[in-house]
Amino acid sequence: MGVPIFSVRDLRFTYRKSRVAAVKGIDFDVVEGEIFGLLGPSGAGKSTTQKILTRLFKTYEGTIEYFGKDLKAYGNAFYEDIGVGFELPVHFSKLTGLENMRFFSELYKKRADIETLLDAVGLLEDKDRPVADYSKGMKMRLNFVRALLNEPRVLFLDEVTNGLDPGNARIIKDLIKDFRARGGTAFLTTHLMNDVEELCDRVAFIREGEIVETASPRELKIKHGRRELRVETFENGETKMHVFPLEGLGENKDFLALLKTASIETMHSGETSLDEIFIKVTGVAGDVR
Amino acid sequence: MSDNLLKLLKGELKRLMKYNILQISFAVALLWIAVIFLIGREQATTFVPLFIFMDAALMTVLYVGANLFYEKQENTLKTLLITPSGYVAVLASKIIAAVYLALQSSVIISLAAFFLFDVQLDFLALYSAVVLIAFAHAALGFSFAIVSRDFNGLIAAVGLYMIFLAFPSIFFAFGLIPERFEAVMLLSPTHASMMLIDASFGKTVALWTVLVSTAYLAALAAGLLLFFIGPKYRENAVRE
Repeated sequence: MGVPIFSVRDLRFTYRKSRVAAVKGIDFDVVEGEIFGLLGPSGAGKSTTQKILTRLFKTYEGTIEYFGKDLKAYGNAFYEDIGVGFELPVHFSKLTGLENMRFFSELYKKRADIETLLDAVGLLEDKDRPVADYSKGMKMRLNFVRALLNEPRVLFLDEVTNGLDPGNARIIKDLIKDFRARGGTAFLTTHLMNDVEELCDRVAFIREGEIVETASPRELKIKHGRRELRVETFENGETKMHVFPLEGLGENKDFLALLKTASIETMHSGETSLDEIFIKVTGVAGDVR
Repeated sequence: MSDNLLKLLKGELKRLMKYNILQISFAVALLWIAVIFLIGREQATTFVPLFIFMDAALMTVLYVGANLFYEKQENTLKTLLITPSGYVAVLASKIIAAVYLALQSSVIISLAAFFLFDVQLDFLALYSAVVLIAFAHAALGFSFAIVSRDFNGLIAAVGLYMIFLAFPSIFFAFGLIPERFEAVMLLSPTHASMMLIDASFGKTVALWTVLVSTAYLAALAAGLLLFFIGPKYRENAVRE
């Protein structure tokens, strides 16, 4: 593993007026240059955890270190380092897209080129329209631009492709990958398993305020999948399914005979999908798009 | 902080224009001037202080409270908290914008009163009073918005404030409440505000009343900001 940017130990948080803790003693590290996904159903504690890491909530228990220093010891300069893409649009509706971005950009020392960012998400032509006239997808793309205005080292993204059509979701996902390729680190909270599979280097599943599993998507698929190969063949006018164990597959006579003689239609390993793992680990169905 | 405070303030003033609030405030000030024309020059000395009080106190409460709700709805309060500005600068910019709005109205009305209706007043005393009154009522506006669950709750809170604290001051100004109740009336921020405005228009207001009113409004604003709004602002902005 690389250098941990965030080290979270025994993190606990309870909302005022609530008797039940929203986060119940969780531990994890976010390593420099990775995309770390915190996954879980609604109300599991993932957005709360993100709000704690972005210092919107300060009354937590446990320790959080950011680059080896207690997060509580950082002043407002911490925000020069991070960008946050919220789940809902965060703009002044009567200002244009460009006016919104200029206003927020001026509050930072380091400033990305706004028009380049708007162009990257396909909003350059609409920059002079009031945000009130934007569609939800356009507002979400503007949210993403807002998160990148200060050229952050760490991006926090909450349901970042929420409300986007597949084409625009693709643009945002490619920009996130590009951000990582340039050395950036991202903390992603989502329940969209396709986003996770495509973007995340490591994921942690959170259920009722507790992390129940942390691994890479590949490790999870291997761990939770069946070690078998399923072969569909077409014989005598109908499709037949044959299942072989992966162990000793090269010496499996039945399998080798099937390869030689049968008309094979499909062949799949028994690895499971992240969506199935999500349901198994959290007990709740996720969304696949 | 001061650098970002200026940028935040610039943003607040730009939005006052974009959301047509400055223009509406200007139109209301012109409306008050038209009303003074209608009621006549003789009554101007009585009504001009009242109109300035309504703009500086009641309109400020309503403007700040509504603004906070609107921005919460647009989620911009939350996104401002994750900038290097800090919430103190964000709060300060909103208060200064509210004070500016109140000052704009009072300048228009007072200049019209002086030049068109021969109303005598101490401009420096009036504008100082308006700054303090708007500051205290901006703090009240924030407080009402924080304790209200929704916009209707805010309107109800402002309504109760007017019924229990603003109307008695207006009744007092018209002599409907006996003068022996003045010391008790000073417990009301609206009455303290009225006294400061009256004093700037040369009405008979005891020096101790001016001093107590000034200290009370300053202490009220500082107390609310330090012990209520400051600790609650972040939680309120983040709450969904």
